[in-house]
Amino acid sequence: MIEAKDTGVLAGFPPRVRRVREPVVALWVFAILALLPLMSSGYVIYILPQYMLFGVLAMSLALLWGFCGMLSFGQAGFFALGAYIMGLCLQHAGTLGVNAAYLALLASAMAGAVIAGAVGYFLFSAGVRDSYFVIVTLALSIIAEQLAVGQSQVTGGWNGMFIPRMQLSFWDWRLPLDSDASIYYLIVVFVAVTYSFLRWITRAKFGKVLAGIRENEDRILSLGFKVHLYKTATFAISAGLACAAGALYGTHAAFVAPSLAGVLFSTEVVVWVAIAGRNSLLGALLGGIVVSSISNALSAITPQYWQLVLGVLFVVVVAFFRGGIAGAVHRFSARRRG
Amino acid sequence: MSDNEKGKGVNKGRREALGMLGAGAGAAVASMVAPALIRSAYAADPIRIGVISPLTGAWTVYGKAHISGFELAVEEINAAGGVLGRKLEIVIGDSKTEPRIVVEQANRLIRQEKVDFLAGTFSSAERNAAGPVVTQANKILLYPTFYEGQESEYYPGVCNKNIFMFGPEPTQQVWPHMEYMMKKYGKKFFMIGSDYAWPRVTNKVTKQKLTQLGGSVVGEVYIPFNTPQYESVLRDIRSSGANIIFHSLTGSDTVNFRRQFVAAGMNKDFILWTVDDEEVVTSGLGPDVSAGTYVSFDYFMTIKHPNNVDFLKRFRAKFGKDALMNTVGVAMYNAAHMAALAIKKAGSVETDKLRAALKGISYDRAPQGPVVMRTEDNQIVVPSYLMKVRKGWTNVTDMFEEVQSFKAVQPLAARCKLPL
Amino acid sequence: MSAALSVVVDATLITLVLALAAFGLAIIFGLVGVINMGHGAMLTLGAYLMWAATRMDVPFVLAALISALGVGLVGLLLEHVVIRHFYGEPLETLLLTWGFFLITTEIIKIVFGTDLREVVNPLPGSFDLGTIRFPAYRSLVALFAIVLMVAAALVFYKTRIGIRIRALMQNSEVASLLGLNIQLTYKIVFVSGSFMAGLAGALISPMLSVDPYIGNIFLVRSFFAVTVGGVGQILGGTLAGSFLVGGMETVFALVSSQVVAQTIVFAFAIVILRFRPQGVVTSR
Repeated sequence: MIEAKDTGVLAGFPPRVRRVREPVVALWVFAILALLPLMSSGYVIYILPQYMLFGVLAMSLALLWGFCGMLSFGQAGFFALGAYIMGLCLQHAGTLGVNAAYLALLASAMAGAVIAGAVGYFLFSAGVRDSYFVIVTLALSIIAEQLAVGQSQVTGGWNGMFIPRMQLSFWDWRLPLDSDASIYYLIVVFVAVTYSFLRWITRAKFGKVLAGIRENEDRILSLGFKVHLYKTATFAISAGLACAAGALYGTHAAFVAPSLAGVLFSTEVVVWVAIAGRNSLLGALLGGIVVSSISNALSAITPQYWQLVLGVLFVVVVAFFRGGIAGAVHRFSARRRG
Repeated sequence: MSDNEKGKGVNKGRREALGMLGAGAGAAVASMVAPALIRSAYAADPIRIGVISPLTGAWTVYGKAHISGFELAVEEINAAGGVLGRKLEIVIGDSKTEPRIVVEQANRLIRQEKVDFLAGTFSSAERNAAGPVVTQANKILLYPTFYEGQESEYYPGVCNKNIFMFGPEPTQQVWPHMEYMMKKYGKKFFMIGSDYAWPRVTNKVTKQKLTQLGGSVVGEVYIPFNTPQYESVLRDIRSSGANIIFHSLTGSDTVNFRRQFVAAGMNKDFILWTVDDEEVVTSGLGPDVSAGTYVSFDYFMTIKHPNNVDFLKRFRAKFGKDALMNTVGVAMYNAAHMAALAIKKAGSVETDKLRAALKGISYDRAPQGPVVMRTEDNQIVVPSYLMKVRKGWTNVTDMFEEVQSFKAVQPLAARCKLPL
Repeated sequence: MSAALSVVVDATLITLVLALAAFGLAIIFGLVGVINMGHGAMLTLGAYLMWAATRMDVPFVLAALISALGVGLVGLLLEHVVIRHFYGEPLETLLLTWGFFLITTEIIKIVFGTDLREVVNPLPGSFDLGTIRFPAYRSLVALFAIVLMVAAALVFYKTRIGIRIRALMQNSEVASLLGLNIQLTYKIVFVSGSFMAGLAGALISPMLSVDPYIGNIFLVRSFFAVTVGGVGQILGGTLAGSFLVGGMETVFALVSSQVVAQTIVFAFAIVILRFRPQGVVTSR
């Protein structure tokens, strides 16, 4: 169990799952991801960045759900918002002066954080929690999709928006990211940084308060913590990350349509995270990557039955293995160690 | 081993890490790499075509005719010995009716399956999602659906030299029949459509001709997807004084609206002209709801053209006597045959040669009657039919009766930088 | 004047049909606290069973009853195998019912196919009252919705089982001390909610296209109808919520586009949840 000597009052709320080994695994994951383009090329190198960004989306949900007990059915709304912001910025790249993609990344992270912060504060300050929060996020997802459809002068409506590929630049040095490998590395770095950041905040005192809120919100409240501010901050961070990941996704996929914001995609993310393990950031990341890969590989062979299998797996995991696969792996390794 | 003792912890950590990866990223990567490796050994022979169809998701209804049209044509071509001595081979990608998945599948088919060209995608959004992919990879896409026409604003989804349009656009589907409808029923149109580009542009184009002919639009509403109840719209229509309801709702909304339209008894007071409801949707509506409405398209299962009679015989032999075909499925059928002709003419499936050969290619055995691929804007020239849904129809063979038809309708030139 | 009156009629019809669709959810969510994300799938299943039954020439009313019983049975299965182990854990039951939705939808697709299906309207046409025209079948369904809800309210307030359920809602510990069989009572409530959802799906099917997603178009609206109206207020709450969600959409659509109207209503529902999380209708 994690030592809680510096947290005093929070000692009663150990995180549910041991994450002792996680850095080792994470290091392996990122090392393999970094070496992959040297060993392979073609479709894998093209598609993995998109799945890694889905993985970031999954981590943003894991932060909210696994670490703070707030389930969101609307993460895809933020992801799509990011993609649209990237598209708008790159379309007006000529008039912005600076590298439009940098601006878009910053703007999307800000936009996500500000919107989630405002909505979050509005709700959490009145004590809206649990299932009501789920329903609100469901509505946010629908509103985002409807706005994307309705504001067709800006978004291209239901037919979608084309997004150019971004380029890197530092002063006079420019690097277009047209090749698969170049944008692959940008996204690997983004994912690694995001993961490290999330790992850091969840292990800091902030994360321990979140765990406390998840386990027993009223007790944390009675200890004098401003629970609604913690929740608002978590929602804002989560949404900001989802938005930034969406911005990169947009420029990678070159296209965004309103259904990216939709409830179906949002709930797909919930399924990934539940199966992979809601209490593990790395689990969520791998869940996003692996489930998307399998879906893609099986879609030509058995599209219907795969959805059915996924549904059954989801129910089994929720009913019997709350920690998901990551939780099971941790338990198994803990038992083997004796 | 001695360092087994020393480095127990480290080793274990590593083993776990590998274990987790084995179940995780490793499996994913392997599942994607392996088939490509295995296949490259045999890849020399067939011509591979990637077909992206809506096999699951919201528009599965249309997916069946979509893919089966193409499959039938490929079977026919192969039975006749293939092209250039090579068989055609279909590699399927399911779009799940999601533009996001189309991006994935188009890339998979091109990069991993190494297909020679693509066919399919269903909605305009799906086609647009594939646009950047085929531009970047320089592959041809054969697009089958009736759609809003090409405007340079929507490049690379349209006005793209690599995308060929096998379905009709509004100046082919609607314009030829306006004079007849207005003369017979009156000049006031009420327009109702789903809230996206195809209905909006179709209505815009229709309005243009309507004003020329001295008609007017007395109401125009756009309905968000998945709207269950239509009371307020029906009320607007009733009080508008319209003669003709010009209808471009899609998906389940078209059925929802039309059932409630008939339930309100309004089919007795208004003429409804739909540009969406082909065999599949009309079957879903049933005879009571659909009787007496007008539909216009380039193809119907009921048309009497000898090509169609032959075509349906083969189609039913392969897919059963109750299988449904429609304009989109026939466009996929034509696309396969015309691509085969073009490959033969070019002597190659290489993109630039195939593109040049597809331009201007004609196909006389098309089920709806002869069709030609227009050279300057990659838009097919097709016949146009106006049909009336027969009262008390029992199946697709007696569903529609022909009101009028035109051979080889030339659409307006695409609003692109021509020639493509 | 008659224009205004017809708006009122439209809004009433929309409200009542939505209330019917939301009623099963109101029962399950309101009385046993399970956020039934599978509600949409239950509506869909009801519609498909209706389609299958009417195709076998089962009379309309009997077919609707069979569909409702069928969905009630599925609900019983779901409750007995899974849900009963998770009462008191709202997030877990929410996820499990969502899993139920995923599985049921796929099974429906495999069993019934994905073609659009048609349930014949048993009462086509319309009738006029004064200057207002009423669609016959919809009006009948709306009327039936009122009768159904009043009947349910009577059961809830006047019968022994109703009293047991209310006792459970107030305080499950005391109720169990008094010797109430909590598990059984929950089971009865869950199954009756499923039954109502199946019935609603069956009755709505002649107005809509029967496809694997038919229930979804009512799912989110139903949630808002129930939560905005007031969870646990199965009669007044569901009606008030349905009116706010469905009726407002009608009114806003008069002055703006349909898309904007829907967006406004959803945003408004969020605001209501914030300021009156107990809903607009409360018992005291």
